[in-house]
Amino acid sequence: MAGSLERADRRRAALMLSPAYLWLTAAVFLPLSAMAFFSLLTDVPFGGRDWAFTLQNYRDFFETGTYALLLWKSLKLGLIVTALCVLIGFPFALVLAKAIKGRAREALFLLVILPFWSNSLVRIFSWAIVLRGNGVLDAAVNAILPWEVRVNLMFSQSAIVIGLVHSYLPYVILTAYLALQAIDDSLIEAARSLGAPRRTILLRILLPLSAPGLIAGAVLIFVPVVGSFMEPRLLGGRVGTYYGTAIEDQFVAVFNWPLGAALSFILLAVVLVILALATPALRKAPT
Amino acid sequence: MTNRLLARLGHLYLGLILVFLYAPILVMAAMSFNRSEFYQLPFDFTTDWYAKLWHNGEILAAAGRSVWIAGTVTAIATVLGTAASIALYRHSFPGKALLRALLFPPIAIPWLITGTAMLVFFFGIGLDRGTPAVIIGHVALALPYVIVVVSSRLATLDPALEEAARSLGARPWTVTRAVTIPWILPGIIAGALFAFAVSFDQFVVSYFLSEPGDSTLPVLIYTSIRKGFTPEINAVSTLIIAVSMALMLLAARRVRFGGED
Amino acid sequence: MRTILLTSALALATAGAATADEIRVLNWQGYGTDLDWAIADFTAATGHTVVHEYFTSEQEMLTKLRTNPGAYDVVLINSAYTAQAQAEGLIAPIDPAKIANFADLDPGLTANADLNPAGALHGVPWTWGLTALAVNTTDFPAPPTSIAVLWDPAWKGRVSVRDDGLEAVQLAALATGQNINDIKDMDAVKAKLVELLPQITTFWGSENDWNQFMAAGDFAVATYWSGSAARSIGKGLPIAFVVPDEGAIGWLDGLSIPATSTHPDAAHAFIDWMVDPDFYVKWDAEGAPATSNSKAAAALPETSFNRSILGDPAVVARVQFMRPVSDENREAYLKLWQDLKAAQ
Repeated sequence: MAGSLERADRRRAALMLSPAYLWLTAAVFLPLSAMAFFSLLTDVPFGGRDWAFTLQNYRDFFETGTYALLLWKSLKLGLIVTALCVLIGFPFALVLAKAIKGRAREALFLLVILPFWSNSLVRIFSWAIVLRGNGVLDAAVNAILPWEVRVNLMFSQSAIVIGLVHSYLPYVILTAYLALQAIDDSLIEAARSLGAPRRTILLRILLPLSAPGLIAGAVLIFVPVVGSFMEPRLLGGRVGTYYGTAIEDQFVAVFNWPLGAALSFILLAVVLVILALATPALRKAPT
Repeated sequence: MTNRLLARLGHLYLGLILVFLYAPILVMAAMSFNRSEFYQLPFDFTTDWYAKLWHNGEILAAAGRSVWIAGTVTAIATVLGTAASIALYRHSFPGKALLRALLFPPIAIPWLITGTAMLVFFFGIGLDRGTPAVIIGHVALALPYVIVVVSSRLATLDPALEEAARSLGARPWTVTRAVTIPWILPGIIAGALFAFAVSFDQFVVSYFLSEPGDSTLPVLIYTSIRKGFTPEINAVSTLIIAVSMALMLLAARRVRFGGED
Repeated sequence: MRTILLTSALALATAGAATADEIRVLNWQGYGTDLDWAIADFTAATGHTVVHEYFTSEQEMLTKLRTNPGAYDVVLINSAYTAQAQAEGLIAPIDPAKIANFADLDPGLTANADLNPAGALHGVPWTWGLTALAVNTTDFPAPPTSIAVLWDPAWKGRVSVRDDGLEAVQLAALATGQNINDIKDMDAVKAKLVELLPQITTFWGSENDWNQFMAAGDFAVATYWSGSAARSIGKGLPIAFVVPDEGAIGWLDGLSIPATSTHPDAAHAFIDWMVDPDFYVKWDAEGAPATSNSKAAAALPETSFNRSILGDPAVVARVQFMRPVSDENREAYLKLWQDLKAAQ
């Protein structure tokens, strides 16, 4: 009896998992396997080109300091952007989940994501109008302050961080909200009636219970930011060269797919190792 | 600090962050009413770009196609992603950690590389370019986002709840429909919203896989950047955001998904 | 000219049973072939309809040709890439007899070695232009004459070059008095670029960013394409195009027919339409690169940008035309450029 139930369970699990994973296999994993194969070649195996197997593309990463330097820069950028998103997003999610009631909450929930139903390139050019000297931010600051200041954040690391935090903030707001909204208010009430100060409620109840949401949000931010190149290029100007730029150039400026693919898989490996190391630590930390 | 003061501060904070989130959208909308093609200030009001947009069949068709594709992608990715998330939550089996780790390659590897890989692979297996190929690619890129977001909500579901329903004799599908789905509905909606955003802003896959002449809005924007696009793009983006906002506010009045008050 | 074309089109239409074809053109967006009025006129005259697809870099153009056999009938290829496309079997030889305007094309261009790989014409010379400098005239009441202005400390933080390793290296080669197609002293090039980078405010990537950054006052002096400069001036930006004494980088764009084209006759007819003086004079009024057609160049008004600046023999004498670049050099230049940018 128990055995047949388990089998039925397994069949159901397979039935629910396979459509998504078969889809991913056909459209992402197999194509990426082809790319992984290219990364082990001297040249792409079409267009009548000569090719042979080699590890040189991976060796290139270690032989010249540039790629490692850029990856390090990108990882730092990923950490800064993720940390800022969590710091800014968690309080927002907390207020939304616990201090806003009724229809307003649904409306705000939807309004957080709405700006991202637009084109990222158009948004980046709009940020340029805000951030440059004589721009919108400059005008706004000078309208408020009685003395004059010049605000020109364009073409700097600050501009890159602002643009990226903006693009990825909704992820952590919504995932943190999903976790916080699930916490029963009576739990918080009980703690409060027992005399727990706000700090304790935050550290012992809200943070630990919302950890799955925060981690999911942080991962959805950190992973793509490390490979980003559009915001850095357009907002960062002279200092806007990152690891994603180096990968993109192998496909756009030169026809060196093997090296571009190798650099991508190194990025993937590094990101996965960081996630594997960080996730258990993050899960444990708040409790 | 009193609770009322704290609530006031909370509301103020929400307002400030919303201003930040909407800043580029407001600027984008403002520039659709500004005469300068190069977003030059001072501001000089005009509705010319909307008039031009009205006669620009190419942009309107591309925008329509983008909305249609994103809607289809959202529906498919949300259903498949939710089913997979529930299975990952409910069952433990060998290789589960691997299945979760497999969600990261499509997010971590820049879309340019994944898109190029799809182009080469689809060409290799003889799948023709066209809207079906575009949708196949978009769904694959949106799925990981849906699964990660829905799973994060599932993590808050007490397994005892499903267990209780089951011990009362509910069949698995009834448990899913009556217990699981209502609880994770906010997560499903968030996942769907992200899936729409991923597809609606996706350039590389559409660029490589759509039929010549059938471009989507992002393809139109990225390919026209070399010679410059006009604020007609701002105008169409503003219209899309405005209509979406109206629909969303309407939906927020009608449908409950934010949990109980 | 139109009448010749009309008759040839009619001859074509009566000769072949296939009267109206849909041809597919692969080009940069907004680069002449997709002008609404030009396509409408072409369709009215020949019955053929035109569908466009766009690329955003030369590498992507080649990728699209490789992975979409049969999808395209006309493709724009920069002469530095024509030989590579021919070597990969992507494009077919052109039949000049099917192009009525061919006799009017500049013989120096039709005989260009890069357009004639394997001894046969594989790209009809269409347009050419320069990558040189453009300055903000509010900063420069009198335009500079030397490329050294990019290195002038007075403009530190208001200089821009395109984010392209090959172009950056060729620019530094010009500044160090070298042949851009045969750079002997890479150390001098590198030293020059090391000095250039601190001057830069941002790199530009497209006409779109260039116009916005220039309009906002971010740029005082920047590299730019001649055709784009004509267009930006036409749209009211206060800029002047400068061909420095040290020279400029010249480029030549040709129209080719993919080897797998399914409508080669209609493709020839379209290319003929594109090199027609009537078309070019109208396009030039909206801002165009220079034409390959001598009759078209002669028909331009005296004040036209292409006539007054690129029509000057003293300017043309200073231009170094870009030749094909080997994969090794391209990769080496990119590596140098990435190293320099990463160090910022």
